[in-house]
Amino acid sequence: MITVNSLKHTFLIGKKGNEKKIEVLKDIDFHIERGEIVSVVGKSGSGKSTLLQTIAGFMKPDSGSIMVNNTEIAKYNEKQSAAFRLDNFGFIFQNFQLLPAQTVFENIELPLKLKGVSRGIRKKKVTELLQKVGLTEVADHYPNELSGGQQQRVSIARAMITNPPIILADEPTGSLDSQTEKEILALIQKLNKEENLTFVIITHDEEVALIANRQFRMTDGVLVRVGGMTHAF
Amino acid sequence: MLFKDQLQFVFQHMKKNKLRVTMTVLAAMIGCAFLIVLASIGFGIQQTLKNEILNDEDITQIELWNDGTLSSKDQKFIEGIDHVKVVLNRAEISGGVKSIFEDREGESNALMVDMGAQKELPSNLSEGRLPKKSSEIVVGYHYAQNLLNEADQAEIERKSKEADAAGTYYDGSEEGFKGDLLNKQVTLQFYDEETTEYSEPATFTIVGILKQPSYEWAVDSKVLFSDSLLEVYPNLVTSPSSKIYVDSIENVMPVLDLLKEQNYQVYSQVEQLDELDMFFLIFKIGLIFIGTIAILIASIGIFNTMTMAVTERTREIGVLKAIGASPSLIQRLFLMESSFIGVLGTGLAIIVSYGISFAANAVLPYVVSFALSDEDLSSYDITFSLIPWSLVVIAGGISLIVAIISGWRPARNATKIEVIQALRQEL
Repeated sequence: MITVNSLKHTFLIGKKGNEKKIEVLKDIDFHIERGEIVSVVGKSGSGKSTLLQTIAGFMKPDSGSIMVNNTEIAKYNEKQSAAFRLDNFGFIFQNFQLLPAQTVFENIELPLKLKGVSRGIRKKKVTELLQKVGLTEVADHYPNELSGGQQQRVSIARAMITNPPIILADEPTGSLDSQTEKEILALIQKLNKEENLTFVIITHDEEVALIANRQFRMTDGVLVRVGGMTHAF
Repeated sequence: MLFKDQLQFVFQHMKKNKLRVTMTVLAAMIGCAFLIVLASIGFGIQQTLKNEILNDEDITQIELWNDGTLSSKDQKFIEGIDHVKVVLNRAEISGGVKSIFEDREGESNALMVDMGAQKELPSNLSEGRLPKKSSEIVVGYHYAQNLLNEADQAEIERKSKEADAAGTYYDGSEEGFKGDLLNKQVTLQFYDEETTEYSEPATFTIVGILKQPSYEWAVDSKVLFSDSLLEVYPNLVTSPSSKIYVDSIENVMPVLDLLKEQNYQVYSQVEQLDELDMFFLIFKIGLIFIGTIAILIASIGIFNTMTMAVTERTREIGVLKAIGASPSLIQRLFLMESSFIGVLGTGLAIIVSYGISFAANAVLPYVVSFALSDEDLSSYDITFSLIPWSLVVIAGGISLIVAIISGWRPARNATKIEVIQALRQEL
């Protein structure tokens, strides 16, 4: 499903003319199968978010290859990346990234709008998904009227609405209390089982990382496998 | 994204920033309305002058000047030109003529006309017929008004003095002969400019009266004779001229050009019309250019509004890009917003401009009359402001293009926003 080979990326920091090179991704290699939950755990600045952003196409790596469903996406331009994201990736962010002026319903249907899906089909799909994530009651609410857990559910629903094979989650529980965190992780596991969705979870929280089938650790740009799934909620 | 979803997206944002969008639309409206109203003055004045020329009954005539009477060869050539209806030879009698009727007298211009040719033209008479004999005449519409006795003269003198004192002018229209002159006999004497003496009195019968001139201010008291008058008065000094009548206004210029090529001295009012059009074309371009400056100033408002919209929505743009919106879609959404501001501003400007134009045409004649303490201009057909469709299209086009250009840069900037940076922004 996702195969990353020899992925390298460098940031230049400091004043112009006096920049320092920081290698954030050092020869990253890994493979993810369909239906897996994979976690990448690491401290701040370890390069884990950069890895996710590179896979997502938010930035281009200096070198290396990213194959998703046998398609090389590392060299895609902005337009190609956007189109590929729309069809293949769903995103869950730490601070939910919902549009405050749009209702829950409108936030969830946004990717369908971008795909040019008609209003009738959108309504049907969003209604079904709202039921699945338990948000039917708040469909017409605005994000600021919801709790953190509800907002993250909306974010998960938005990520799933186009049925993408892969969900990329960057610190999905970073802004939630421990009880809500458990609920969200349980939802991710449920969706993984029921929908056969592939999840790539970036987290600094060792506990969260444990829900994955396979866990990786990122340390100073180096990715190593640290274990399989041993923990259940 | 479906077009109607794009529209909904844009309207949703415009609604969210109602006040700012409204102010920008108002600025665009004022700029565009200024352009339309300013240029409409050019169109209005042109229309007024054009109507003035077109209303002239002589519009399909070509004046031809000769050293003497038109030779039969020339006449034949001109009559043979396509679209020439009639060549009318006429001769002004130098010195004019004095009319005596009962106790009244009046001086008039006198013309001899080829009545055979005149017959072929549409009648220019309000009543009666054309002369058939040298002793028959046709007189101008105001001929009777020109026949004054001593009492009339004293009255005119008195009224003129009063008018002078009031700073106006009295034209003598209330005096003169009030009865019917048709088929009446008048005594005429031709004035000889060389000897400064009048000819022996002779009696003529008025068989026709000319139509009222198309201009209200024009006074027509001339006397028209048949050209057979020369047989009776062979020593009359005359200035001959010819008028060429063309079948329609469109054919005047081709006939005129042909005659000029043949070195005839010719003139037509239509030439004036062409010169007028050229002058006003340049004048209107100048006005539109000045008006465009107002639109450019308004465009700064659109640029600011769109720049703010992009800055405020950086995170939203980031989210859209993250979930798969293409850069071209982002650019299109912002361009649509600036275009809508332009469309709304232009639409309102057109409505407002028509209102201003209507009000100007209704009120300005009174204002100008009052300001100049002149006669009442409201009775004249003066167009101060005219907004033809072409002006609406030009002004609307300029306004929309400027609005789109103003939104172009902010829209481009929106596409360059980096997802990672945008998502880091706080709510």
